[in-house]
Amino acid sequence: MKLFLFAGYLLVTIGAYLVTRRIFLRFKYPLLNPVFLSTLVIIALLQATGGTLADYQPAKDAMTFLLGPATVALALPLYHNRGVLRRHALPVFAGVVAGSLATIATVLIAGRIAGLGRGVLISLGPKSVTVPIAVEISRIAGGEPTLTAAFVVATGMIGSILGPTLLSAARVKNPVARGLALGTVSHGQGTAVALMEGETAGAMGGVAMAIAAVCTALIAPYYFPLFLR
Amino acid sequence: MAMFKQLPKIAFQILLLWLVFRCGTYLVAFLHLALPGNVAGMLLMFALLATGVVKPVLIEAGGGFLLKHFAFFFIPISVGLMAFGPLMRQSGLTLLAVLMASAGVGVLVTGLAVQLLHGRSSR
Repeated sequence: MKLFLFAGYLLVTIGAYLVTRRIFLRFKYPLLNPVFLSTLVIIALLQATGGTLADYQPAKDAMTFLLGPATVALALPLYHNRGVLRRHALPVFAGVVAGSLATIATVLIAGRIAGLGRGVLISLGPKSVTVPIAVEISRIAGGEPTLTAAFVVATGMIGSILGPTLLSAARVKNPVARGLALGTVSHGQGTAVALMEGETAGAMGGVAMAIAAVCTALIAPYYFPLFLR
Repeated sequence: MAMFKQLPKIAFQILLLWLVFRCGTYLVAFLHLALPGNVAGMLLMFALLATGVVKPVLIEAGGGFLLKHFAFFFIPISVGLMAFGPLMRQSGLTLLAVLMASAGVGVLVTGLAVQLLHGRSSR
């Protein structure tokens, strides 16, 4: 029975991913994000069948086993773009670090004014960083990794929808600047949107995503507490 | 079909990436760093590639496969949100507003800063 349930959850999750990925690749609209849609489907299914998170846990552990090596593989796009990285070293590093500091400060200050609890605030801190690194930063800082994962996916969608419009309104036309802005704030999802704008913007998005992750991981222990009680 | 032929190669390369990941994890534990092990692993991998110790072809098939389906791994993690129903009902809109403000500020600060610096350095 347990094995049956395990295999069932595995198949449902993979199936949901493959179907929603098709939908996203067809329409390429950020709200149709495969992670968002699949998560809704699986939560609805669990609730309809009376399944609990504890039931789902073994399947989750099996599926996330490869997340570590996948994160290490992020070194590949960074390595392939090391040329642009070297050519635009100052704007890249200064821009990504400034953007990361600004987005973290805003979320923590606004969240505190809105009266959110300390645990939620810490979980919000790394929300612009790609999921596997964000959940680790959250765990080390004393947040709720699951909440952080949800905030990361939400930020990915929000930045992908608002980002290009905001950048155009502020007359940011340079593809290097647009790609870096989208990757810094909306990680992989922002990079996907940047890639639709062009190859340079896409490459910069990938570079920004990696640097923002390393930067946030390094500063989190010292920077987050400045905005917490 | 091509993917099935590549399967042993992909599996072997993922094993290599996994070893680097474990090295990163041990490194931060050993040095008592407040840095995630996967970040250390990624930096270690980048150092190995940049110094030429590891050639990119040695990990490109496995790494490419994992990166192509990177988002898949986030789904089982996000399902855990089920446990936070009350928080979402109570503060969902607040959280949305806070996330929107933060994303807007971050995008504008990064975009404007880069455009300013980039315009100067390339002129």
